[in-house]
Amino acid sequence: MIKMLNAVMVCTSLVGLVGVYALKYSVEDIASDKVALERKIDRQEGDLSLLKADWSYLNQPAHVAPIVARHQEALALVPTAQDQFGRMDNLPMRPAAPDTQALDALLSSLDAGIDPIEQLIEAN
Amino acid sequence: MAIITEGAETISLDGGRKSRGNLTKARIRWVIVALLLVFGTVGGRLIQLGATVTDSTIEGIERDVITASRPPVLDRNGLEMAVDIRVPSLFAEPRRIIDVEEAVQKLRTVLPDLNEDWLRKRLTGDKGFVWVKRELTPAIEEKIFQLGIPGLDFVTESKRFYPSGQEASHILGSVNIDNQGTMGIEKHMDDDSLALLQSIGLARGNEMTPVNLSIDLRVQHVMYETLQDALVRYKAIAAAGVMMDVKTGEIVALASLPDFDPNNPSTLFQDYNGVKNDRFNRITSGIYELGSTFKTITLAGALDSGKVRITDRFDARFGVRFGRFTIDDFHGKHRVLSVPEVYKYSSNIGTIKIMQQLGKDDFRAFLGRIGMDKTVPFELPEMRKPKVPDKFSEIVAATSSFGHGLSVSPLHMVRAVAAFVNDGNMVPPTLYKRSEAEARQLYERVISPSTSAEIRYLMRLNALEGSGTQMNKLANGYRVGGKTGTAEKVVGRTYSSDKTFAVFASAFPLDNPRYAMVVIVDEPQDENAQSGHTAGWNAGQVTGRVVQRVAPMLGIAPDFSEMLDTSLVPVELR
Repeated sequence: MIKMLNAVMVCTSLVGLVGVYALKYSVEDIASDKVALERKIDRQEGDLSLLKADWSYLNQPAHVAPIVARHQEALALVPTAQDQFGRMDNLPMRPAAPDTQALDALLSSLDAGIDPIEQLIEAN
Repeated sequence: MAIITEGAETISLDGGRKSRGNLTKARIRWVIVALLLVFGTVGGRLIQLGATVTDSTIEGIERDVITASRPPVLDRNGLEMAVDIRVPSLFAEPRRIIDVEEAVQKLRTVLPDLNEDWLRKRLTGDKGFVWVKRELTPAIEEKIFQLGIPGLDFVTESKRFYPSGQEASHILGSVNIDNQGTMGIEKHMDDDSLALLQSIGLARGNEMTPVNLSIDLRVQHVMYETLQDALVRYKAIAAAGVMMDVKTGEIVALASLPDFDPNNPSTLFQDYNGVKNDRFNRITSGIYELGSTFKTITLAGALDSGKVRITDRFDARFGVRFGRFTIDDFHGKHRVLSVPEVYKYSSNIGTIKIMQQLGKDDFRAFLGRIGMDKTVPFELPEMRKPKVPDKFSEIVAATSSFGHGLSVSPLHMVRAVAAFVNDGNMVPPTLYKRSEAEARQLYERVISPSTSAEIRYLMRLNALEGSGTQMNKLANGYRVGGKTGTAEKVVGRTYSSDKTFAVFASAFPLDNPRYAMVVIVDEPQDENAQSGHTAGWNAGQVTGRVVQRVAPMLGIAPDFSEMLDTSLVPVELR
């Protein structure tokens, strides 16, 4: 009986031993993974801070203005003058009814191959 | 086991069982003592280990403090003005360095600017930690790792970076290598709360709430660029400008030239054209005789007192005599002038007469009411006390009425102008975002709304017909009004007429005032042969150029209808 009990206890302690060591090593593995991850996060946060700084630098008016100046001639860029601003109430009101005659005339001229807008552009 | 003894002494013998029992007890005692000793040693060692304080400081400073971060600073639209970046810093542990000479030679291949002797001295010894070089780039970090020198390692530090470069230098200020603010809003944040947060360990890591400033970086950029252009165009020695929201007191733009690079704070102490310490903030810590722009203040005080009415007329035919001195007009009309004419023609005589009608003590009291004799409450630590005499003599009162004999900062002027156009409600300027409701709590009435309306009319009139026409030509449609000031600078002991200090104090749009602005140009030269040399031709033009570009950004549409201007005219003058 006692022998039986001893055998059981030896087995239990062996299992316990293996279990505890397995747990110890897995915890160590997880801890080192954690440290590695923390380092990675730290490095990425560092990279991110640099990228963010870069992004805000590129977005600065101080950075954009020289680019505008460089392409001013090619793109014919000039500051907006006061008379280039319009107002909503300067727009004409919508006509009460659609101008069917004018529309018909436009469509028929288009059918005939004459584009009045194209003519306007060419005239200028 | 019998023991034979001589004599009559009693012999006592222990039984075999008892003596064995005693022996066992003794053994148990020994085992207990041994166990106690062993556990005692273990326990003692544990206590010893627990009591040792590991030195986590870096040359006396906590490691946490060095990596402490600062909150990002954003402009009012959320664009970054100051951010933290993580950079590696190189340190050495001299006691772990095996071959100092080898380490020195190898290190100098990557960092050749390090002094050899200094480095050798630094790496020798038994210290646990010494800085070698702080705030390096990741590329250099990689190269030093490749060298494989034992006893050298890196720690990641936070470094402040200002993406806007020099554009907002005087607003932002700068930080030292330990990331503590030394100037500008950075210093203010530290004095305010950040230092406390850092000391109790809250300001760590990246999660700090960003700070929103009142600055609009687009407006700031235009202001900066226009002032830079002014330095070249008018060959001036300095120029500065400030724009303030009249309703909330928020400073929208503030620039002062010459300036410095906050990413390299030592540039602040560089000479500018051979002049030492010239890169200070002229808006807050420069005090000047602001010349005729002061007439706005004199007239506001006089009109508000009720002793002078806008319909009054003043005799400006002859100069005003004070003993040996006679004060005369620069653009002399030498006739009887109405109040709007005094302002429009910038008549010194007329202004003195108006001030005298108000009374010199009342005038001094009014200057006190609009805070001209005290430092403006403001976030920037760079402030200088204005110079305003406590009591005015007749002559000082007379010169003060047109802005000579007393010195205030441009910030004083912009706050006063803002109050005058904002129905007389003065609000302290701020660099932080503030809503109109919050600002209303701080309102302080300095003149009545009706006087405010008269001042608006006078300022607009001066832009249409007076010295502000150069400005109005450029900013046509945005209803700007303002007053010029051309102060002669004191050279030696007398006022010089060829070295002047030009000021333009303005507000726009005057039909519904939203922004006040003061621009100064120091020692401007004529741009070309046709241009004049008074403030309207330099500070005025700068103002016009700034408004022309920023008004659309600030949501102000141009309007050319004359009705807006005529509606500004007070009923008495229609």
